[in-house]
Amino acid sequence: MSYGPIQALRGVTIEVNEGEIVVLIGANGAGKTTLVETILGLTRAAVGCIRYMGEDITHKKTEHIVASGICLVPEGRGILPLMTVMENLLLGAYHFKGDVDENLKLTYSLFPVLKERSGQMAGTLSGGEQQMLSVARGLMSRPRLMMLDEPSLGLAPSIVKELFKKISDLNREGYTILLSEQNARQALQCAHRGYVFGTGEIVLSGDAQELIRSSRVQQAYLGGSCE
Amino acid sequence: MEIFVAQIINAIALGSIYALLVTGFNLLVVVGGIFPFAYSHIVVLSMYMCWFAMKVTGNNLLAGILAGIVSGTIFSFLTEPIFRPLAKRQAQLGSFIVAMALALILTEVMAQKLNMGIVISIPQNLQGREALIKFGAATITAGQIATIVGSIVSFLGFFYLLYRTKQGRAFRAMGQSPFSARILGIPIVRTRIYSYLIAGLMGGISAIFLAMAIGTASSSLGDNLALKVMAVAMFAGVGNLGGGLVAALILGLAEGMVLAYLPGDWSQAIAFGMIMIIVMIKPRGLFGTMV
Repeated sequence: MSYGPIQALRGVTIEVNEGEIVVLIGANGAGKTTLVETILGLTRAAVGCIRYMGEDITHKKTEHIVASGICLVPEGRGILPLMTVMENLLLGAYHFKGDVDENLKLTYSLFPVLKERSGQMAGTLSGGEQQMLSVARGLMSRPRLMMLDEPSLGLAPSIVKELFKKISDLNREGYTILLSEQNARQALQCAHRGYVFGTGEIVLSGDAQELIRSSRVQQAYLGGSCE
Repeated sequence: MEIFVAQIINAIALGSIYALLVTGFNLLVVVGGIFPFAYSHIVVLSMYMCWFAMKVTGNNLLAGILAGIVSGTIFSFLTEPIFRPLAKRQAQLGSFIVAMALALILTEVMAQKLNMGIVISIPQNLQGREALIKFGAATITAGQIATIVGSIVSFLGFFYLLYRTKQGRAFRAMGQSPFSARILGIPIVRTRIYSYLIAGLMGGISAIFLAMAIGTASSSLGDNLALKVMAVAMFAGVGNLGGGLVAALILGLAEGMVLAYLPGDWSQAIAFGMIMIIVMIKPRGLFGTMV
């Protein structure tokens, strides 16, 4: 996959199985964002192929990919600041075919704070609330694969903890999640499997618990040994 | 006093037309992602179509109105492919230049080919000059009432669409963040095409009201209107849909009042002078750029 004139990813192969949380860890510029954006069809892969539920979606348009059940909670949240919380959520259900009101109720029950803020402009929410809104908006499409790009970025530690708990909860309810994170320890703790990115390539992969114990990951991302 | 009220009504009618034009223009700025200089030229072309339809049907009112509205919608739709590559690259300056080229071509077509370049005059029955309300020396014409009521209905419809429907949310999302809109799976190209259709519809409607208000049309009207629409949009803050509406009414009132009470035709100089001062004091426009 190449991104503009610079090749951002080389020979990356990842796999996400239904019901899993898979985490991509790696430093800034390692290519995690490029990977999730390529899956969503925002960036085009020069070579290679993306398969989703047995279908080749490499060259499909973003709107069709979203309609088929993949959603992205982008880095920086991507909320629409001048629209209300509810309007943001309704936009998340743009391709949702079922009962949107029912869906909205369900989402509000998962994120009670958003219900309180329902009529408020999304731009007036705190950073943590905006991130929750972004996740909740993704859920409004009832995705089969939810991709979260750096969701913990810029959030206070206590909020990050709450966020990862939310992600685990969602997974327990059956959501399949692909999580891209720099916050390696917490991400790996809630994940099943992980891939460690170097610059544009995968340097290590495997079971999340094994990755936490791996000395290479500890040195590079977890600040040395935690013993 | 009666004359003053009549002048105010006249100015509001004029302002309503500007407001329709500016709203269509702003929709193309916000959702279409272009700077649609040629929008007003398309509106004038629709006035020609209205006139032509009435001519061939023996001044049939309905035929004229339909022809104006439908042709406005279709012409606007037809220009979309021209701007598509530019909108995709968010090349707004480029789209401005292409739009100017389109405007020049349309102007020359109208000047050379339509009615052999002679100014067209709109049939009396569409103009609606007969007084509907009379008080003292002042009158309010059927055309003015139709324009004001028609504009209000159009705006209610438009803002309902924008703020209460799924399509409207998609429009606003595209205006606020094209990136977020894509991520949410909003079909970008199709949504842009819808914005051209809606803007064209509003353009067609304003073509009818312009025909009523001015009673004539010529090839030079496009440039004249385009400057005003552009200026009002800047005065309010480009892309600010609500602000554009208010600013258009202000321009209409200013122009109408100047025309009515000052000797000689200073309406343009004063209206544009006002806009110049506002933009100097508040470079982002009176209400700021906002979606």
